[in-house]
Amino acid sequence: MRRRKTAVLLILIVLLFVAIVLSIGSGAVRVPPLSILRLILNGVGFRSIELPPEMQINIILHIRLPRILAALLVGSALAIGGVAMQGLFRNPMASPDILGVSTGGSLGAVIAVNTGLFALNVFFLPLFAVVGALLASGLIYLISSYKGRTSLLFVVLAGLAISSLFNGLVSAILLFSQQYEVSQFIFWTMGGLEGRMWKHVLLPLPVLLPGMAVLFLFTRELNIFALGEENAHSLGMHVERTKRVILAITAVITGMAISISGPVGFVGLLIPHLFRMLIGPDHRLLLPVSAIGGALFLLASDLIGRVLIPPFEIRVGIITAVLGSPYFLYLIIRYQRKGLRGFGYD
Amino acid sequence: MTKELITTRSVSFAVAERRIIDAVSISVKRGEFVGLIGPNGAGKTTLLRLLIGVLAATEGKIFLDGRPLEDIRLRERARRVSYLSQEASTVFPYPVLDILLMGRYPFLGRFKRESESDLEKARRALTYVGLSGFEDRYFNELSGGERQLVLFAKVLVQETDLLLLDEPTSNLDIKHQNQFFSMACELTREKKAVVAAVHNLNIASQYCTRLILLDQGRVAAEGKPEDVLRRELLDPVYETKTVVTRNTSTGALVVNVAPRRPAGSYPMPRVHVIGGAGSGINLTRELVRLGYSLSGGIAHEYDADQKLWQSLEVPSQVIGAFSHITPADVEKAFRMVEEAELTILCSFPVGPGNEGNLELAKRAGRLVIIEAGPEEEPRTFFSDKARQVFAALAENAEHMDYGQLCDVLESGKIFKTGAKKTRRESQA
Repeated sequence: MRRRKTAVLLILIVLLFVAIVLSIGSGAVRVPPLSILRLILNGVGFRSIELPPEMQINIILHIRLPRILAALLVGSALAIGGVAMQGLFRNPMASPDILGVSTGGSLGAVIAVNTGLFALNVFFLPLFAVVGALLASGLIYLISSYKGRTSLLFVVLAGLAISSLFNGLVSAILLFSQQYEVSQFIFWTMGGLEGRMWKHVLLPLPVLLPGMAVLFLFTRELNIFALGEENAHSLGMHVERTKRVILAITAVITGMAISISGPVGFVGLLIPHLFRMLIGPDHRLLLPVSAIGGALFLLASDLIGRVLIPPFEIRVGIITAVLGSPYFLYLIIRYQRKGLRGFGYD
Repeated sequence: MTKELITTRSVSFAVAERRIIDAVSISVKRGEFVGLIGPNGAGKTTLLRLLIGVLAATEGKIFLDGRPLEDIRLRERARRVSYLSQEASTVFPYPVLDILLMGRYPFLGRFKRESESDLEKARRALTYVGLSGFEDRYFNELSGGERQLVLFAKVLVQETDLLLLDEPTSNLDIKHQNQFFSMACELTREKKAVVAAVHNLNIASQYCTRLILLDQGRVAAEGKPEDVLRRELLDPVYETKTVVTRNTSTGALVVNVAPRRPAGSYPMPRVHVIGGAGSGINLTRELVRLGYSLSGGIAHEYDADQKLWQSLEVPSQVIGAFSHITPADVEKAFRMVEEAELTILCSFPVGPGNEGNLELAKRAGRLVIIEAGPEEEPRTFFSDKARQVFAALAENAEHMDYGQLCDVLESGKIFKTGAKKTRRESQA
């Protein structure tokens, strides 16, 4: 098992590196790897090395790099959000998108866009997205703590209901808005990474990174949740307080991620589940590995979308949905076969 | 050291006006093994959850080592009180060792990793519960019993003075049940205290030093097992007829539910059983099960059959132990035989002391004699007179072995008119 964990980690890092290089290189304008190498070497001080053509530099620095960084940030944020929610609810079906937290973020962002507030101050869009995500996870928390007991299947169903409701609201707002555009509609219902600039990425960074870091402090608690809330309490954990903190942080990083990319689905569901199978459920390892895995998954999905049918781009949210939905179905069928146990019922 | 570890002072817990726990005042000292007993819904689990503080009492106070429970920080509580829930399973595949190390959570700072001594404690606990080598097995793939033992080991790893166990052995077979309780018992010898909600009263009587009987959230009785496990205390609480006896092989108190006549059965014929030395036990049980009304005797006091009749409230004729059956006794018992439609003579040894039973059988209107089966002891006589009387009454009786008798009793055929005649005719 130990060797397997190291292998998974190594493979992930290598693949991530490959995906980054490919992402810089491919697209409407191809940038050969050698150009990338030349740019990097020149940048770190080897002035004698000739820079690649001006156009290539501009494409790399102003188009490809921010987009790659956006993919990495969103992917890892959504993935560890998924890890946290699955651990918290002891439910492999939970994730920010299934439980409606992503849609909540989307709704907040759409409100900011349609009221015109986002134009007044750059902070309004991420702020609204975070508030929307917090609202959704607050609802989830209230439902899950109803009568002091977390009924786990109930949480998933309630999340799906919240998700549908918010989705409906997003669609309604966009349809009735005056500056209605199909691309906006798709962006805020399905998510995408095209046209992401440095401003989109750098603005959430000061919140996103510390938020993710704080979640790493709660990995032991996430493990103990596995024994059930009563046992967690008897081990000296403030169960409700911990739940609230973890849910709030998850909502914040999810909202921030959504303000970058829109609600990209299935990353938070698929990645934690996949890596739990590969390296085990210990959150102390699962959380960092899922962060890397989520980043890789979203970057690769975006890459596939960009190179599959040039010159058109398929939005990353469509790619993740196409990859993720069958997986979600597979999970449902598997748990159906295994009975409710898979949903966390004893 | 004999100071109370945990005390509740008229603690109540109510949900929507309904009191699930009602003014309970108990205390537990070091070295005690307290069993919480009571029917389903009596509040055993709720009381335990109040004691660990998962639930907050709506009235009253709980003291841990003399300090109010709510004044003690959760982590500190977790270093003194551990809890084993009724059943816990994980959805995710944690290795057993990880589960055990969770027991060290209250001792570890946020940035501290488990030390070698923590690992050592986990391994020792696992060995103690008899699961060494299970370190890397997945907890969710273990059997219910093994899971329970792992969680018990986790409780041990927590190294608390007070252990609260909620029906810890409901999933275990009898071997593991006993192993579990003797391990818990051993802990009390190390001056720890154990409070366990127990369904199995026989296990409770065997291991617990004190029992608390809960009834609808109240303490109905409290004390040593022999003071609490009494019919008059248990029957109203469990709303059923119990029989409390001492197991003659182990000396332990045994609580059983008295067999009940099938409800709503039509009036069944009366049967009189003449037995002794335990020869009538199986038959009596069978007759009660089938719903016959029955009487028994003549039997000696303390005879196994007589004890059964007494606890089942079967009317019977009793004489003093080791005394001889007198004609007056026979006369008295005959009144019961007279009322019975059928008298059954079991296979028991006959000597001068109980020759009267054969005299009684002779006067029965209709007599069935149980013949010993091929693998059973043949009927024995310790006096010539007994042998003669038996030979005489055997002529006019029907003879069956126990199996045949049960069959005809079950079908009711034996009471159909003419059954007796057929028998006589075939003899003639």
